[in-house]
Amino acid sequence: MKLAFALLVALAFGAVPLITSSNYIVGVGVSALMFTVAAAALNLVYGFTGLLSFAQLGFWGIGGYATALTVMTFGGNFWMGLVYAAILNGGLALVIGYPILRTNRHAFVISTLTFALLAALIARDWVSLTRGPLGIPNLPSPHAFGVVFDTTHKFYWIAWAFAVAMIAFLYALCSSRIGRTLVAIKQNEPLVRAQGIAPMPYKLASFAISAAITGAAGGVLTFHLGIIDPSFLDFYYMQTFLIIVIIGGAGSFWAVIAAGIALSALPEVLRFSADFRMIIYGVILVAAMFAMPAGVAGWFREREVARMREAIR
Amino acid sequence: MDISAVYLLQLTLNGLALGLLYALIAVGLSLIFGVMEIINFAHGEFLMLGAFAMCFALPVMGLLYWPALATAIVATMLVGFVVYELLLVRLRPDEFERSILVTLGLSIIIIHLMQYLFTATPRMVDSQYGFDGIEIGTIRITWTRVIGAGASIAAFGGLYVVLRFTQFGRAMRAIAQNREAALMVGIRPRVVARNAVILAAGLCGLAGAAISPIQLVTPYMGQFLIFKAFALVIIGGLGNIPGAVAAAIGLGLIESWIGGFFEITWQEGAVFVIMIVVLLLRPDGLFKRGGMRVG
Amino acid sequence: MTALLTVSDLRKAYAGVHALDGVSFEVAAGSITGLIGPNGSGKSTAIDCLSGFQKLDSGRVSLEGTDITGKPAHLIARAGLMRTFQTVRIYERLSLRDNLAIAAQQFDPATWVDEFFRTRRYRDAIEASEVRANALVDLIGLRKYYEIETGILSYGQKKLVALAAALMPHPKIVVLDEPVAGVNPSRIREIEVALQQLNGAGETFLIVEHNVEFITTLCHHVIVLEQGRKLTEGTAAAIHTDPRVLEAYLGLSPEMAEAEMRGAA
Repeated sequence: MKLAFALLVALAFGAVPLITSSNYIVGVGVSALMFTVAAAALNLVYGFTGLLSFAQLGFWGIGGYATALTVMTFGGNFWMGLVYAAILNGGLALVIGYPILRTNRHAFVISTLTFALLAALIARDWVSLTRGPLGIPNLPSPHAFGVVFDTTHKFYWIAWAFAVAMIAFLYALCSSRIGRTLVAIKQNEPLVRAQGIAPMPYKLASFAISAAITGAAGGVLTFHLGIIDPSFLDFYYMQTFLIIVIIGGAGSFWAVIAAGIALSALPEVLRFSADFRMIIYGVILVAAMFAMPAGVAGWFREREVARMREAIR
Repeated sequence: MDISAVYLLQLTLNGLALGLLYALIAVGLSLIFGVMEIINFAHGEFLMLGAFAMCFALPVMGLLYWPALATAIVATMLVGFVVYELLLVRLRPDEFERSILVTLGLSIIIIHLMQYLFTATPRMVDSQYGFDGIEIGTIRITWTRVIGAGASIAAFGGLYVVLRFTQFGRAMRAIAQNREAALMVGIRPRVVARNAVILAAGLCGLAGAAISPIQLVTPYMGQFLIFKAFALVIIGGLGNIPGAVAAAIGLGLIESWIGGFFEITWQEGAVFVIMIVVLLLRPDGLFKRGGMRVG
Repeated sequence: MTALLTVSDLRKAYAGVHALDGVSFEVAAGSITGLIGPNGSGKSTAIDCLSGFQKLDSGRVSLEGTDITGKPAHLIARAGLMRTFQTVRIYERLSLRDNLAIAAQQFDPATWVDEFFRTRRYRDAIEASEVRANALVDLIGLRKYYEIETGILSYGQKKLVALAAALMPHPKIVVLDEPVAGVNPSRIREIEVALQQLNGAGETFLIVEHNVEFITTLCHHVIVLEQGRKLTEGTAAAIHTDPRVLEAYLGLSPEMAEAEMRGAA
């Protein structure tokens, strides 16, 4: 069963630092895990609820900065930083989500885009808080119970535990009745209303949860990198999250997780020039939209459905 | 902080020029949305291609401004045609999210292709007009800015004429207003959509070519402008062309005034804050959703 | 007769057109009531306003004594008025089982906390929902499609699914918006039979339809609208022969009016 397989894979991933001594590989692992979590959060709000939100990029960056600032400017620790990152982004999502979710799809998408760009600009221009283009370097290693996570290998456990927790939470959410309601809202909102369900609280909750998780993931990656600067809000990250969701299949839970791991590891395997890699991303995006709009998982599903259609003729 | 009338006037003129530039981009976006119901993420790239075309055409044409401008516009329109026929034609009007992702992919491809071929090194563009300009008192405006503004205004004038008085223009307005009715009357959406894309690309190409002598040309130059244009299209009311123009000019003026009176570093951020506040307060736009009303 | 649904003086205008111009009627508990009228008579607007999908300019709607005027759609559904849509609405990518489960979801007391901890309350709610779903699935005769995604069903079958979904939460009244529009004649009979069986078990229906034959076979009481006003109402037989009704429909299909008259004589 899928869940058992997923648990096995999760355990296998936990063993990565034990298998290799290469800092590089373990580092790639941390990035892969965080990108996968962010993609899973995007999948919640876009794949399951049907809201194409570019705001994820903003939450990702704000999460990174919030965690860094908690430690560097406000004297807290890494763990509190993650909590603040989650709460701040969740709150922001509720505040901006309420007005823009009541509008039409087009305005929603563009508003989320504007929000993400605004976040990038604030990171760059609010120099007194964020140190502008210089960024905030030399982030200290997290510590807990006397253990200092000062090597990549040790930090990996944090990333791994976080990823497992977030993915488990998202899985529980997506397979619950709430998850089913989100899918229903995506498919046929007027029908949902006619069945006594108010869509707005669900959309808001989905948006906010996704924001909180994305923000925390940004925080974890930031401390792995040891520095945060405005480039953390580059559109490149949003494109990566999107491509993972689209290749995996928007609305398919495990497919997106698998795609996240695969696509994060891939660029390191295929070492092309950055531009060439981006061109391939772009081509994949366009091609997928025409050939496999529902991703790999969707393609398999369509074949299933076609088979069933034949069977009942 | 010199708040003399002259300074204010200089700022206002700059703001108008900037606003016209934004308007060229926003109008094209609005046109495409009105006819095809999609937001073209690759729109900024039309502008960038126009700028690059100008960049390459000028030396070839002996730095003569007008022929190079014409070449750049035609080149961009050609790209628009190809993009439509290869990709956009396959998009249906009710596939909003899919169209965003397709055009996003296209944008990525174009930007990185240009970067791969021509590197990200910014280029300066020189034309026959160089840095000459006109002076009114202490206000100085370069010829290239004046021509750019003039060409923009001429383009809008031309667009108005096309939309109001030609059959093609009426067809575009018909489709924007009521797609089904337009189809029943025999308007062919594919032809109208293709022409709308070509037209929008041309407007962008004009914008790109016009600003290339003023600003450094890089593969990313379209990106930043386009994000503002998206917001402008929403604020102006989706598909509402006069609304988009009004919002664009408004934004140009506000941006210029803010930049003139406050620190330049806050200018961009402030502008975005304003845009997002407007979007939050009036998510359906300041004006009505257009059916491309032109008068 | 106890009036289950009472509608008084509904008014709605847009762009100067009076879609509803003072419509009042009642639907008796346990009846199948029809609402007919030519195009533009206001039937669809009335349904949309009743169910909260459009706003009334003025007028009142009350369900079993409770005022539901102007409430949002989801609250009206929770009050016990369920509806179907003219262009069939179901969750095409979900199974028949899921379609029915979602329809009942809002009406059971279990929350997400209950679900997470699999409490007694949750398990009871699920069981009750499944019992109801099984009964309805057998009634509409789609048992073999229970686990299959509903998108592959035929149009008529989808309409049956929508009907079953509307009945899942034991509503007080079900409002059907053109339940047989675009459906195969053979399928129409199936829907008729299903409705009669349900009505026999005590369900109340308000049916908006163009298909006058369908209405006259099924309905005890029929209300006729014309240009936003109530033209007349009465038993199916009375409506069938009423010259005013025939005249209202005359512009639409003279052949049909002829046939009606011949039938009546």
